[in-house]
Amino acid sequence: MSSLTVARKDFRDAIQSRALWALVLTFLVFSVITAYGYTEAPELFGGEAEATFGGLVFFLLAFTALFVPLVAIVVGYKSIAGERELGSIKLLLSLPTTRKQVFVGKVLGRGAVLMTGLSIGIVVGLLVGAVLIGSIDLYALVAFVGLTLLFTAVYAVIMVSISATTGSTTRATTYAIGFFLLFELIWDVVPLAIVYVVEGFSIPSEFPPWVYIVTQVSPSTAYSSGLLALLPDIADSLGENTGGGTAGDVGSGPEPFYQTPELGLVMLAFWLVVPLVVGYVRFERADL
Amino acid sequence: MAAIECSNLSKRFGDVLAVDDLDLTIEDGEIFGFLGPNGAGKSTTIDILLDFVRPSSGAVSVMGHDAQTEGRTVRQRTGVLPDAYHVYDRLTGRQHVRFACEMKGVDDDPVALLDRTGVAGAADRRAGGYSKGMRQRLVLAMALVGDPDLLILDEPSTGLDPNGAREMREIIQAENDRGTTVFFSSHIMEQVEAVCDRVGIINEGHLVAENSIDGLRDATETGEILVVSVGHVDQTTVERVQSIEGVSGAAIEDGRVRLSVTGRSKFRVLESIDDAVGPIEDFEVIEASLEDLFARYTTGNQGDRM
Repeated sequence: MSSLTVARKDFRDAIQSRALWALVLTFLVFSVITAYGYTEAPELFGGEAEATFGGLVFFLLAFTALFVPLVAIVVGYKSIAGERELGSIKLLLSLPTTRKQVFVGKVLGRGAVLMTGLSIGIVVGLLVGAVLIGSIDLYALVAFVGLTLLFTAVYAVIMVSISATTGSTTRATTYAIGFFLLFELIWDVVPLAIVYVVEGFSIPSEFPPWVYIVTQVSPSTAYSSGLLALLPDIADSLGENTGGGTAGDVGSGPEPFYQTPELGLVMLAFWLVVPLVVGYVRFERADL
Repeated sequence: MAAIECSNLSKRFGDVLAVDDLDLTIEDGEIFGFLGPNGAGKSTTIDILLDFVRPSSGAVSVMGHDAQTEGRTVRQRTGVLPDAYHVYDRLTGRQHVRFACEMKGVDDDPVALLDRTGVAGAADRRAGGYSKGMRQRLVLAMALVGDPDLLILDEPSTGLDPNGAREMREIIQAENDRGTTVFFSSHIMEQVEAVCDRVGIINEGHLVAENSIDGLRDATETGEILVVSVGHVDQTTVERVQSIEGVSGAAIEDGRVRLSVTGRSKFRVLESIDDAVGPIEDFEVIEASLEDLFARYTTGNQGDRM
């Protein structure tokens, strides 16, 4: 299977990047500092008075939700566009493989690089936190690490796919940062803007239910909701809401699924598949 | 079965017609030189053979397989030295060749291949630190992985010194002796001439000539230039040289005789000079340059296929 060979080579190549290791180290340090800071003074960080492992997990989430997209941009934006710009893709595609396998191999390789680096940081941070707190919630640990790996995979897919749409790293950078700005930084405003326009240029007293769906389009919001869906009890005890501010309390009463945090998991699945298709189709049709 | 067959191949990039209705057949087992000035369409044609670029119209078959739909099968049996490639800076030479072995599913010894192309000494150094010539040797080693039936080499001597270019030709020759078909492009005449069975000249996307080198020279009547030292040279010497069969013109140049040969072997002409004029002390062959040939093929009415 030449996808795996491509992925292995890509992994070998990427793990020798100093920039990547600098990022992983930064993440590791931040994750440990965050865990330490939270356990020492949870109230300073907006948590409850006593530090719990569950609280730490939700606290770290705020950090990974921002950090994962940034590292994914660094690791992914040049993955294919860079090889096309330099010409090393010719070396790769001179060998018996197909563009599909190269594309899949790149996604796997970069995904593996990201997941390795980030899971080291998260697990070390959580273990340090567990030692300081003196307790560990294994289910919360597994759920958080698993979901974060899924979120990381989603961002690996998005960034490699963006990279596959162009042969210019300048354009790939623009698209990658544009994606981040739109979906991570200003997305909170987008549903409001849509409501404003739909409601005849006025802000209604109550938001329509579909606003929640729009908020969940942002991958990091979907990631946060996903954790709420996986750890509803901890979320309840922390008084977390679903982030959209419209869906009411978690786990209270029957709600249509599109207004529950489970929608976050659906959105993550969406982001795992759609960019793959778009990136692959563009790459397959391109003249290199 | 032809090794490579392009029929009615065209490729348009925006307003530019890079390849224009190209028909080209490379027979199994031959060494074919693909000549042309920069921008003539050589690399685009090769890029289509390798499916880096999709043709606007026409079809390409390589060893009986469609280059677009069965590219993987084609490249399983092909070794490639592409143009404008870039190595993986952070991987070593050995890792590059091992990667090619893994992709081809063969168990060749990377160091043996690197040794053959003359860079075994740098096998464990990162390729990012290689010189242009070393990279060329590295990629040639990758191309030789798995004993390919076809070698496609785009400007193989780029970055090589004369010695390196000679070694490259020796490898091409040795591969061909084993039965490998070799298709390579160049804009340097001597390299093509030294190893090719046949050449094709491409200009503005068309194949303007397809023949053996000698065939091309004969057909264009460009002839060869000889510069001969025969001791003392004066006007009488020039006249005697001019009267020899196959000499179409002669003149004094720096105390030597410069003459052009047409329609006869230059060795016969040299023998005749030795007999009729005097013992030859030294001679130099100045062959028609590629530019001369291009000039013949791309201007005037010599564009007919031969």
